[in-house]
Amino acid sequence: MDSYDAPQVTPRQSSSSRPENYFIGATPLQKRLESVRKQTPFVLTPPRRKIPQCSQLQEDVDPQRVAFLLHKQWTLYSLTPLYKFSYTHLKEYSRLLSAFIVAEKQKGLAVEVGEDFNIKVIFSTLLGMKGTQKDSEAFLVQILSKSQVPSENREGKVLWTGWFCCIFGDSLLETVSEDFTCLPLFLANGAESNTAIIGTWFQKTFDCYFSPLAINAFNLSWMAAMWTACKMDHYMAATEFLWSVPCSPQSLDISYAIHPEDAKALWDSVHKTPGEVTQEEVDLFMDCLYSHFHRHFKIHLSATRLVRVSTSVASAHTDGRIKILCHKYLIGVLAYLTELAIFQIE
Amino acid sequence: MDETVAEFIKRTILKIPMTEMTTILKAWDFLSENQLQTVNFRQRKESVVQHLVELCEPFSPLSDTQVHRHQKMWDVFQMSKGPGEDIDLFDMKQFKSSFKKVLQRALKNVTVSFRDTEENAVWIRIAWGTQYTKPNQYKPTYVVYYSQTPYAFTSFSRLKSNIPLLGQALTIASKHHEIVKMDLRSRYLDSLKAIVFKQYNQNFETHNPTTPLQERSLGLHVNMDSRIIHENAMEKERVQRVTQETFGDYPQPQLEFAQYKLETKFKNGGILAEREEPLRCLIKFSSPHLLEALKSLAPAGECRIPKLFCSSGSCSQGNSYLYHLYFPLLPDNPRC
Repeated sequence: MDSYDAPQVTPRQSSSSRPENYFIGATPLQKRLESVRKQTPFVLTPPRRKIPQCSQLQEDVDPQRVAFLLHKQWTLYSLTPLYKFSYTHLKEYSRLLSAFIVAEKQKGLAVEVGEDFNIKVIFSTLLGMKGTQKDSEAFLVQILSKSQVPSENREGKVLWTGWFCCIFGDSLLETVSEDFTCLPLFLANGAESNTAIIGTWFQKTFDCYFSPLAINAFNLSWMAAMWTACKMDHYMAATEFLWSVPCSPQSLDISYAIHPEDAKALWDSVHKTPGEVTQEEVDLFMDCLYSHFHRHFKIHLSATRLVRVSTSVASAHTDGRIKILCHKYLIGVLAYLTELAIFQIE
Repeated sequence: MDETVAEFIKRTILKIPMTEMTTILKAWDFLSENQLQTVNFRQRKESVVQHLVELCEPFSPLSDTQVHRHQKMWDVFQMSKGPGEDIDLFDMKQFKSSFKKVLQRALKNVTVSFRDTEENAVWIRIAWGTQYTKPNQYKPTYVVYYSQTPYAFTSFSRLKSNIPLLGQALTIASKHHEIVKMDLRSRYLDSLKAIVFKQYNQNFETHNPTTPLQERSLGLHVNMDSRIIHENAMEKERVQRVTQETFGDYPQPQLEFAQYKLETKFKNGGILAEREEPLRCLIKFSSPHLLEALKSLAPAGECRIPKLFCSSGSCSQGNSYLYHLYFPLLPDNPRC
């Protein structure tokens, strides 16, 4: 019978051999849900997460190189492991994907006069975008419009960008064979039509599956708390929350912005465990904000739907959109998102 | 009439389909029945338009805006007199000429036209130009100034640089000392007026419901335990009463956006107890129909309606038309 005292991740030969069974014990949250699914008793330990710090690996990341990743809105997807993907074949992938995109666009599905088919696709690796050495190397795909003047060697305009990464994806890595490359987090910026075409090519070529990554209110609260906990030299933006109230007949949006220094002071007052963020602290932080609001407006925000959080570190929307504002905590933000992506894959 | 203004009227009228021409012209209400009768609508459209433009000669093209006011976003400005200044008798002619002078002195190219309405208000249309360019008739700013009040409503303008000048012109022409922009904005001018002029009933001392609460059906199930019914009924009654007191029976003014700045100390147990500084918060409510949305929250039990536009009782006296958008702390309600 399945016993539950071994939190180690080992692929089990169970009768059903469903993929879910391979991912036991990844994070405490997953452990909890897994136990519910199996209906085994499980002692509830509150999840903890490390406050994002400037990791060693991140020191190696060239800020100039990754500057283009900041201040851009990315749409998030989770991605199952890629089968037989090779980092040595990037040039070939560029060529194949280019041809595929042009073919798809010429299919006449969207007949747009003057559509520019002079595009170029570039695959490149993003060095240093990982949590541990075991993480697969992140890579970037860009669609550029070819320069109209052939004599100029300049790169054309970037039409679409997508990147694949894995930050602290140990739980996933340990459960797949060597033929697979694990890059569970995919971020896209650009026209939705391009994202769809590229997604189709990847799915066909590497037998993988993309799935939009929504972020629920629970995780948004965690992000708000964690990013408020990050130490910043100076703040660029207020800490802001957006709630959507489903009242009829009209919708109502409530935006609650708090000065970042005050948000930090509130967090510091709530925070007890050094270096870590616990569930109780997140709950208490949010409760403080709710009660302050309630005191003035007599509206229970906890009964409404948290839709967006925004801090000087990053901002996230429940539809699965993110904008990272601070280079220092880039890895930290991606680590959380990777965790959500892995959870969705399972 | 200015050439560009004539052109503007012509183009506006040309956009109207012939089938709707008479209906719309009647709605605009700036040409009398007699005048409309002189126009032969069976002519070619260009001729009709030409004839109409000639008839418009003495009028400024404000009426279309008055009818289509919902398509514009309106801001509210409040003016105040200096300490010890007397309240002069308002002279409309002097106001108009002074207003025009201020703008024309600052900007060589500007078109200003006025239209009086019954409610002691004047509609002003301003087309902005610069030292070198003619006024742009297609992006005018509209101002509605109620001479008996310190309030002026302006249509939201993308040309932000002209707003200070506009404020200056209003202040000088109406013989005020200062002008501030209020934190109210809406597409519905009438709603803004209702709120700002306190026609909007939200004072429970003055409110008297015409039908007693018990007569309103609460729609409860009959075969529930009698004690439970009683408890729910009390609570529902209470919620309905509070809603009633706050919002009244009348349809709500159509407000779309409200914003509050809070600078209050945080009070919750021991958290932030030592901190002297208050929490600086900015709260924004937005909705296609804000007050209705808030009102509908009450029966669901999700909110006890706050007195959003609290006047703290001391209004309508002297210069205190002030609208407290800095939300005061609500005292704890002993009834609940």
